[in-house]
Amino acid sequence: MSTISIKNLRKTYGPYVAVDDLTFEIPDACVFGLLGPNGAGKTTTFKCMLGLARATSGSVLYDGAPLVPETLERIAYVPERSVLYEWMTVGEHIEMQRRAYRKFSVARARELLAQFGIDLRKKARALSKGMRTATMVALAIARESDILILDEPTSGLDPINQRHVLNLIINESARGATVIFSSHQIGQVERAAERIAVIDRGRLALEGNVDDLKADRKIVEGILPSETFALNGLAGDPHILRLDRNGRIVRAVTSSDAGEVLAKFEALGASGLRIVDLNLEDIFLYAVSPADATADVVEGH
Amino acid sequence: MPVVLTVDPRSGVPIYLQVIEQVKRSVALGVLAAGEQLPTVKQLALDLTINPNTVAKAYRELERDGVIETAAGRGSFVRGNGSIETTKTAATDVARDAIDAAVREAKSIGLLADDIRTLASAAIDRWFREDA
Repeated sequence: MSTISIKNLRKTYGPYVAVDDLTFEIPDACVFGLLGPNGAGKTTTFKCMLGLARATSGSVLYDGAPLVPETLERIAYVPERSVLYEWMTVGEHIEMQRRAYRKFSVARARELLAQFGIDLRKKARALSKGMRTATMVALAIARESDILILDEPTSGLDPINQRHVLNLIINESARGATVIFSSHQIGQVERAAERIAVIDRGRLALEGNVDDLKADRKIVEGILPSETFALNGLAGDPHILRLDRNGRIVRAVTSSDAGEVLAKFEALGASGLRIVDLNLEDIFLYAVSPADATADVVEGH
Repeated sequence: MPVVLTVDPRSGVPIYLQVIEQVKRSVALGVLAAGEQLPTVKQLALDLTINPNTVAKAYRELERDGVIETAAGRGSFVRGNGSIETTKTAATDVARDAIDAAVREAKSIGLLADDIRTLASAAIDRWFREDA
């Protein structure tokens, strides 16, 4: 079991609030994607989870217990920036990991590195950015740990190796490991992750199961009889996250029950009704862009 | 296991629904025969590069819908008993969704029920001409 609970996590650096009242849970054996714009607080969240940064307040619990040295032994972490020793060869890194971690599998590390086409005799400084990432991912996976925390595990990799890393993540999850990873490439998170959290300016903007979010979040679009037509009763609708109107066209982003919203539009006299699916990128963008003042658009011009 | 499934993770349609739809379609088309084994959850997840729990969810729903059955430790199979029924159910599910979408679209651009009925019966006549 490796359930991770982040509760009211807050981390400040002087006056700067990096993470603000973050609460979410990563279920056991889940692939969890952490999304957010640059500087949103993803890396700080990882550091707090790993004890590399001390939370200002709040907590990170592993199966209900705070982080202890034994827990760290069960976590493999790939940071965003290379932590390889520049003067050491890849083979020497394998040896160092073997000495450091009881469960580290040299055979698995060699196999994974071969899959990435990485020469064990190469010094870290001779590796490209992508190959450094791949080396760190391979060394982390060879630890056969219960929890993998991967900060941008595909950065710098070509599409083939990116896909390979995703399949490694899927494989780790299939054997029961809990994987949490961040990526700027939403398409990758969309594939591999079962659940996501979107962090924006240190705060949780959205959290949930990817397929459930796609099932619930839709755009309901309709054409109003006139540009000044009032949309009575839509402002307080609990299914509508945001409402935009542009001339006679009205669009609602729903949080659930798009069909009900569509029926409401129809009852108001809107025509040309349709429900538009949103992919994770759309859902992400709606989560991090400030919602237009709903009240302004419902009353007409 | 000649299961050819393709999913589009970038679509707004939940991935597990895409897997369900494609398995049903494969059963309806006879690409997946009664008694045939489906890939394991892990294998399909790796083949499609999608989350294993998402595949598991699709398999659970396919089992609930009577399309497949899972034998502990042996894997998932297309249901054998009443396979004609299974095929027909699967085909009906796929067709219903397609017709639903078409009617919704026709209605949304202002067609009346009678207009849509006329169009539908013309389409049926066109596609079933040889059978008549």
